[in-house]
Amino acid sequence: MTLTLYHIPDWASSIIRLALEELGQPYQIKPMDWDAGDFDAPAFRLVNPLGLIPALGTPDGPIFETAAIILWLNARYEGLAPGLQEPERAAFLSWLMFVSNTVHPTVMAMIHPDRPAGPAAADQMARMALDSLNEQAAHLETLITTRAPRWLTTAQPALGHYLGILLRWAACLPQDPALRFSLAPFPALHAVLAAQEQSPAACRVAQTDDLGPTPFTSPGISE
Amino acid sequence: MTPPMTLTLHHAPDFASTIVRLALEELELPHTIALADIDSGALASPDYRRVNPVGLIPALETDDGPIFETAAILLWLVDRTGRLGPGPNDPDRGAFLSWLFFSSNALHQAALTMFYPHRPAGEGNSDAARAAAHDHIIARLGLIEALIAAHHPRWLSANEPGVLGYYIGILVRWLVMLPPAPYTLGLDRFPQLRSVLAAHETRAAALRVAKADGLGPTPFTNPRV
Repeated sequence: MTLTLYHIPDWASSIIRLALEELGQPYQIKPMDWDAGDFDAPAFRLVNPLGLIPALGTPDGPIFETAAIILWLNARYEGLAPGLQEPERAAFLSWLMFVSNTVHPTVMAMIHPDRPAGPAAADQMARMALDSLNEQAAHLETLITTRAPRWLTTAQPALGHYLGILLRWAACLPQDPALRFSLAPFPALHAVLAAQEQSPAACRVAQTDDLGPTPFTSPGISE
Repeated sequence: MTPPMTLTLHHAPDFASTIVRLALEELELPHTIALADIDSGALASPDYRRVNPVGLIPALETDDGPIFETAAILLWLVDRTGRLGPGPNDPDRGAFLSWLFFSSNALHQAALTMFYPHRPAGEGNSDAARAAAHDHIIARLGLIEALIAAHHPRWLSANEPGVLGYYIGILVRWLVMLPPAPYTLGLDRFPQLRSVLAAHETRAAALRVAKADGLGPTPFTNPRV
């Protein structure tokens, strides 16, 4: 089965690259270039009408949306997250969607605070987004300390990878250091991500995508 | 669904939990409705936070524990019943998942910004946030219109019911009813989508929910408060 990942290193497509490396499935990389207009090209809009990455070309046609690709891969190959028959799938799906439609846009608002309401609102937007992310991280911290779900361990790594990349960006991309996210108040979440970033698959992607030695827990100090 | 499961939907009429109620009725799954008194702070209570730590509806209690997030519940129901959407081995599965999560991440979130513009942007920036959300909503519904016109997916079709038709139907309902002018949504620009939604709102399951939740006779295509 030929899989083609439309990719820019350290964009959300790195989350899918981590999943593909975990699965050990062969795949091709289709490098994308924002400045060259690749995202607006008609051929790419046939792959993803929204013009965003990640997108994954498959024998069943293209798939887009990070969480959708994760679920499709997990159903085909297993091992990224709870399977269809596992009772834990109920909780996993809930938190996957929470990360996808709440944590992910919050982090994007921290990185691009001018987008939701224009440049005049950017500073206030960035502060509100950081406050929101801290609340969301507190929910995750409670989840891990009270339930220790297997789908947030290296045994089922997809959601940890997703969170790891998002929190990486939140910790290093906001221009104002005072508006960057810190894992320090969230030791259980930190421990989950520290384990994930040391997996062989994560180390391979850190190398190919130039994410540094501790991409999730200390992204700022990559050499 | 075998074996039979005990299902409890935490619900308030015409909130997002109505989307899940529509799916449960279409699937003819027995379920209990637990009405959430939102105005009195029920979603912040410790009991409810054990069901959904994030404190939102919908949440569905199942024999596998609670599920929250609309798209998560819809997908779980599809996979448990083998109905209302392509299953894991269906070649349409990838496209269905893509557009289900697009509806949740892009369309639903933009709709929430339209209804609660101060939440992402703060008081004072509401107008700018609402204008940006309106542009997003029109563009995203345009992508759905183009999808239907080009591919006629059977998982978003006038010919058979699906979770995505009900999901988009409720979002469109709110976008027609709730925003102030000039941001009120008109469906004239989206004839393919309108025909899919018209087919869904006239199904027996939808009529039952429309009655129970007070949604009026044409809740998706010509909604009234």
